[in-house]
Amino acid sequence: MIFLKLLEGIGVGLLSLTVGLLFMGLARKITARIQRRYGPPVLQNFIDVFKLFSKQSISHGFAFDLGLVAGVSALLAAVVFLPMGQINLFPHNSSLIMIIYLMTMAYLGMAMGVSSSGNPNATIGVARALTMMMGYELPFAAVIFSVYIFAKTGSLTNIVAAQGGGFLNWNMVRLPFGFLAAEIALQGMLGEKPFDMAIAPAEIASGPMVELGGKYLGFGMLQHAVGIYLETGIMVDLFLGGASNIWIFVTKQFELFFIALLINAVLPRFKIEDGVKFMWKVPLLLGVIQALIVVL
Amino acid sequence: MELRPLNESNTNDKYKTYELFIGPNHPGISGNFSYVLDMEGHKIANVTADPGLLHRGFEKLMERRLWTQNLALIPRICVPEPDVNEVAYCMGVEHLAGIEVPKRAQYIRVIVLEMARIAAYLFSFSGVGGATGLYTAPNWAIGDRDYILDLFEWLTGGRVYHIYQYPGGVKMDIPDGWLDKLSELLDYLESRLPEYDNLIFKNPILQKRTKGVGYLSAEDAIENGITGPNLRASGVKWDIRKAQPYLVYDELDFDIPETGDGDAFSRFVQRRLEMEESIKILRQCIKQIPDGPYREKIPNPFQFRVPAGTYYSKVESSKGEFGYFIVSNGDIKPYRVYVRGPSYSAGLYYALEAMKNMRIEDVPVWIHSMDICPPDFDR
Repeated sequence: MIFLKLLEGIGVGLLSLTVGLLFMGLARKITARIQRRYGPPVLQNFIDVFKLFSKQSISHGFAFDLGLVAGVSALLAAVVFLPMGQINLFPHNSSLIMIIYLMTMAYLGMAMGVSSSGNPNATIGVARALTMMMGYELPFAAVIFSVYIFAKTGSLTNIVAAQGGGFLNWNMVRLPFGFLAAEIALQGMLGEKPFDMAIAPAEIASGPMVELGGKYLGFGMLQHAVGIYLETGIMVDLFLGGASNIWIFVTKQFELFFIALLINAVLPRFKIEDGVKFMWKVPLLLGVIQALIVVL
Repeated sequence: MELRPLNESNTNDKYKTYELFIGPNHPGISGNFSYVLDMEGHKIANVTADPGLLHRGFEKLMERRLWTQNLALIPRICVPEPDVNEVAYCMGVEHLAGIEVPKRAQYIRVIVLEMARIAAYLFSFSGVGGATGLYTAPNWAIGDRDYILDLFEWLTGGRVYHIYQYPGGVKMDIPDGWLDKLSELLDYLESRLPEYDNLIFKNPILQKRTKGVGYLSAEDAIENGITGPNLRASGVKWDIRKAQPYLVYDELDFDIPETGDGDAFSRFVQRRLEMEESIKILRQCIKQIPDGPYREKIPNPFQFRVPAGTYYSKVESSKGEFGYFIVSNGDIKPYRVYVRGPSYSAGLYYALEAMKNMRIEDVPVWIHSMDICPPDFDR
């Protein structure tokens, strides 16, 4: 039985990697079309990852290796607890708090890894990423608070079940302010513009990625892929009523990701303090209003 | 390698300051050039410029080539806008040799210069986008610039380096149908301007990023020899095309836009407004261009001796005053040629002063707002 669960877990992990890489490929294609380019093939990111994992790589010590592996594995561990359509490995144990906790672990792992490379660009990038995390976690926490109070449960499975019975029962409709706040926080979580200060190429030469090469860059890409899958997946479960099967689930995820891409294509990036200020003004206010509405 | 004395390295706390390289291999710099920043936290404490990575010794090479051979060499000095080099050099040679350039050739030169100016301004739009992370802007602008390069290719055979000017005029006449195509292109570019406005200049985040960054007062600008749109954005209405007209600019009707705030945003807007004026100039040229010869004959290039003398010829480029100081001793080769690039004073000297106490995220915005072209430094 445990062995079977293990196999299922590996399957879910592979699914999230595949969908995440596919989304990244589609993102490149869509962005290219907005920018009046042809764009790379949709499967380019798969090709890139296979190529990167076949290359020789330069390590910067034990912390570097551990941090990057921890980054990917913590996110993969979080994905296992995410209800996605009929795939729900732990229906009685899909606590949102645990998923958020694992997600934070992943970013801290990445931070530990890349800052041990000793490159100041990477360190500045990590500092920015953690500052930005402080920015978007607060409104997101406010949103989660309202969803908890509203659904009277902390389990994602139950939150999804509570939204059953049509579009009007979705939290997106019932908690519109919370949804808007979470959308803006999602933009920050995905690291899309205007909140991509962590990897600003013109300023700090791509920040955390600057010392990654070969397999390590491959790990970085995989982390981004799983991150996209997990973050959009949480949003689907929280606000779009989950899904009855995995295809609908992925479609809903892609809709959210698509909106993020469109915003990404037409905005420049904030300065770090402006980004955090924005997060603490607009989405946090929306989140608090939503929480007040729900509580009263 | 020079070893640092031990007591000195003790006082220099490596956790307090650290070095950061903007260039030579960095997405924030626009050429083979490097600023070495001493950072304290995220503030810049000190800046060192590190030129020389692209040094090819143009000025010395010119002394060893025939007057006309140099025409293939000099466009390489400024990559985004090579034509100003050719025109300034040819104007200098013509003045020394006393060659009268036909009216048609002068009009063709203005057309080429203004097309190059628009192309360079589109390049600077892409700089705004690249510096602030608005990557749709570079892709659109470079795509539109390619249409201009297509016309250059038709006219001169080259896309980037044209080598089209010649002492006495231009190398070839305008092909049939070229001017109609140019007028179509101008219509297209004009229709694109509102799109650029919406994407770049009316973008609230971009305004927040660029307003107030890298303020340059009019006195500082004059003091540091900064010219062109950067000077005009600081509120000094100085344009060589108006102040000391060359070619046929005195026959053309155009304005000098004025923004005058002196910050990075006003420098970006200045270029955007001047692009409209360039389109206006090109439209007038298409209407007014006379028939006639396109080149005054010069003697056999191998025997072409320019009478002894000195002359400083200057052209208003997209970045500022581009000048050639030519010294001839009556030989078949120049005795000495000195090139005055507009980015030289801004990027190599004023930068060291301007970037102090700046934040790291403002550095690329400053570099691209001054439209610094590092090949200018290394001649």
